Amino acid sequence: MDIVLQQLLNAVALGGTYALLALGLAIVFSVMGLINFAHGELMTATGYGIFFGIAAGFPFILSLGMGVGLAVVLALSMERVAFRPIRRASPTIMLLTSFAVSTILHTLMQNLISARPKPIPIPDMLAGAVTIGAHQIGTIQVLSIVIAAVSLIGLTLFFRATLLGIGMRAAAEDFDVARLMGLNANRVIAVAFAISGVLAGIAGILWLFQRGSVDPLMGFVPVLKAFIAVVLGGMGSLVGAVAGGFILGVVEVLLRAFLPDALISYRDAISLSIVIAILYFYPDGIIPRRENIR
Amino acid sequence: MLEVHDLRVSYGPIQAVRGVSFSVAKGEIVALLGANGAGKSSILKAFMGIAPRSAGRISFAGEAVERADTASIVRRGLTLVPEGRRVFSQLSVLENLKIGAAANRQLRGRTLENCERMYALFPKLAERRDQLAGSLSGGEQQMLAIARALMSEPRMLLLDEPSLGLAPNVVDQIFDFLKALQKQDIALLIVEQNAETALDIAARGLVLAQGRIGKEGASAALRADEELQRLYLGAG
Amino acid sequence: MFRKSLNLGVATLGLAMMLGGPAHAEETFKLGFLGGLTGYLAPYDQPSLDGLTFGVDEINKAGGLQGKYKIELVSRDMRSETAESAVIAQELAGAGVNFLVVPCDVDPAVAAGQISAAAGIPTMSSCASTPTLPGIVGEYMFSNYTADNLQAAALGDYAMKQGYKNAFVMLSKDTPYTQKLPEYFVEVFKKKGGSIAGIIEYKMGQQDFAAEVTKIKGLSPAPDVIMTSAYEPDFPAFIKALRAAGITTPVLGSDGIDSPTTLALGDVAEGVVFTNAGFATEGSALAKFFADYKAAKGKEPETLYVATGYDIVKVLDAAVGASQGKLDGKSLRDAVDGLENVAVATGTMTYKGMNRVPLRTVALNKVTGGARALVELVTPAAADVPAAQ
Repeated sequence: MDIVLQQLLNAVALGGTYALLALGLAIVFSVMGLINFAHGELMTATGYGIFFGIAAGFPFILSLGMGVGLAVVLALSMERVAFRPIRRASPTIMLLTSFAVSTILHTLMQNLISARPKPIPIPDMLAGAVTIGAHQIGTIQVLSIVIAAVSLIGLTLFFRATLLGIGMRAAAEDFDVARLMGLNANRVIAVAFAISGVLAGIAGILWLFQRGSVDPLMGFVPVLKAFIAVVLGGMGSLVGAVAGGFILGVVEVLLRAFLPDALISYRDAISLSIVIAILYFYPDGIIPRRENIR
Repeated sequence: MLEVHDLRVSYGPIQAVRGVSFSVAKGEIVALLGANGAGKSSILKAFMGIAPRSAGRISFAGEAVERADTASIVRRGLTLVPEGRRVFSQLSVLENLKIGAAANRQLRGRTLENCERMYALFPKLAERRDQLAGSLSGGEQQMLAIARALMSEPRMLLLDEPSLGLAPNVVDQIFDFLKALQKQDIALLIVEQNAETALDIAARGLVLAQGRIGKEGASAALRADEELQRLYLGAG
Repeated sequence: MFRKSLNLGVATLGLAMMLGGPAHAEETFKLGFLGGLTGYLAPYDQPSLDGLTFGVDEINKAGGLQGKYKIELVSRDMRSETAESAVIAQELAGAGVNFLVVPCDVDPAVAAGQISAAAGIPTMSSCASTPTLPGIVGEYMFSNYTADNLQAAALGDYAMKQGYKNAFVMLSKDTPYTQKLPEYFVEVFKKKGGSIAGIIEYKMGQQDFAAEVTKIKGLSPAPDVIMTSAYEPDFPAFIKALRAAGITTPVLGSDGIDSPTTLALGDVAEGVVFTNAGFATEGSALAKFFADYKAAKGKEPETLYVATGYDIVKVLDAAVGASQGKLDGKSLRDAVDGLENVAVATGTMTYKGMNRVPLRTVALNKVTGGARALVELVTPAAADVPAAQ
């Protein structure tokens, strides 16, 4: 029982990080039909932002802010430079463009910064464990859960309570009509990229807390996971992306925790099979983006 | 109010609208009729700046708007109620109304007041203000789509197939309401398959065929035109 | 044909200008390097090339290999793609290189080696550590870097000497390095009388080790030591989760964690012991290499791969000496295969009797106060090294 609860907390912690990443991907997809595979490079940029912040002697917290800031700037620039010119292009062209952006960015990082990982010293206070009742849970795990929860609540407030947020949801559902109502397309898309940058930045921080270093290829695996979460939740559905992220995290951790040793090397195959099975029953994802009744 | 001169719209090599000229006066109701694919929707989209406009002049309230962006057209007082209603189903009724007013900063102070005005016009929406728009019936969604458009305080409303997919009694309700808008000096340009209903409230009609205006005239005259009945208006 | 002779002409002209005398084109040693300068191999092949280039410049200033044979270095980026590796190997073989250095990973090294070695060109992987690599390709293929079984032998020896009896092992079947090195360790440790408390698998890049650590915590009796060849980003994530769970069991790792990240981890990494290719003790060849490098480039190398890349030039120098100046493929191959105790930057290297996988000095390091501290430098007995498999 004890172990089960502990593993569940582990699962929620990982799921939260996936959810943030998936939400970032989904938000951009929902307003312009683009799966931005360069989303992972936003995480990487966060890492370098923090690294150079610390190297320049800024306090840790400020460096974290610089990391997120860099991700937002990069997200806005990739929208302006790479994606705006192809906004009306086919999904395939957009997808290929995002691959190109991703490759260009990590090659630049490899050549201009370093192909080797750069260490990011994490304060020792984040390395310990917190005791909750009879349970011990790593500080980083607790932080992941808290930060993911705060980010998701903050974003929910933004989406519910501000006109810009409501406009983003409207645009996510039906971009053409949102434009028709006079919402500024450039602004909506730029805000979507900015939010995706913030989310990638926060997820990047949580990721970095665990790994302690940044390298040019850091964003590759997480963006794949986020993509799976987005498909699982329903392409373009924001709530679905969050749900997909949590489900993927929980499935992964529980398989790692409770699969017999003989089967453990198949666990990615098993977790993907579970995803496929879910998609078999819910072909449009768990919480699909609802189309209008015509 | 609205003047159109030699409007042409092409999608790539396909010419959807091939030189259309007409005007709509302040507070006037005009029906835009024609078979499927005659170019009706393209004309409305061109007015709103969301169809590729290849040529022609459009002026609204005396100002040229053929190069204006959608937001500024909405701010000038021209709004479209799109075909198929297209309410934001994941947003509540109230949120849908707020989006309708989003284009114009000057209206923001009056948004809640305007919402109350809409609730007074459509009591059903008042009951459901916090429900998701997707949960409304077809007729209620159409009312919401119209209310959403009215939130921008338009001087002219473009309606694309407002009767589509609705039960006859609901259609009557909607058109009664549209007719009532005339009292507020709001001009209407209604695109309809259901010509009878549209001509009932319109003063004039324009009949589009293959991207050009084939016939135009007073509603009564159009209704009496037998050839028209056969060619474009379907049922007699 | 025309292009080739033109190239030769330009090279000759260049050389003539440099020497200010008659051309000696036939005395140039053409060294090919193909590696992943971009892509996933860049962290290894970039520094390897860096060290190689440094060594080439140094030896050319001194007149060339054995003071006579200037090295002409031709390097190509295979973008970490195996197919590209074969294409470039073909190109470089066609360009007539005397010796070819190939990527740091087994698959592209094999792809390149199968072409160059078949053409009779001695070929060496910059830093692939899988000991089966030369056997797969054949007689003309060599390893350079400290092999997995060699590190495992050193780690197993050390664990025994510390009195650890019961070891827990974490491995990943994703790469030979993350799988075989722990398996070699298990072999050595068992052979010397130790027992294995359990083996757990992880997935590279999984980041989150909470589930694995919770499992380790549940072990009874608790193991004396935990061994893994996981590296960044897995190792830092693992050790953080391990220590956060209150598990203080000693941890042994391999050269993959020899990076600034490990040293920057703070308390959680304190006391971790790992093997790598060398340690710069005062007055050692490695210390001299670091100093020379710093004098030339203004900073110390980021990683030991720079030093092991440089080692290749030392091996070539010794080989050309042993072949008495014969630069043909067969003579060079035989010469390298017979080398014994060559002094290189990281210690010594022996190819003789090792099936083209060098016996090298292995350094055991302990993370102490955010720095490496030397535990000892060892050269495992050839008999203690598990057979490559």
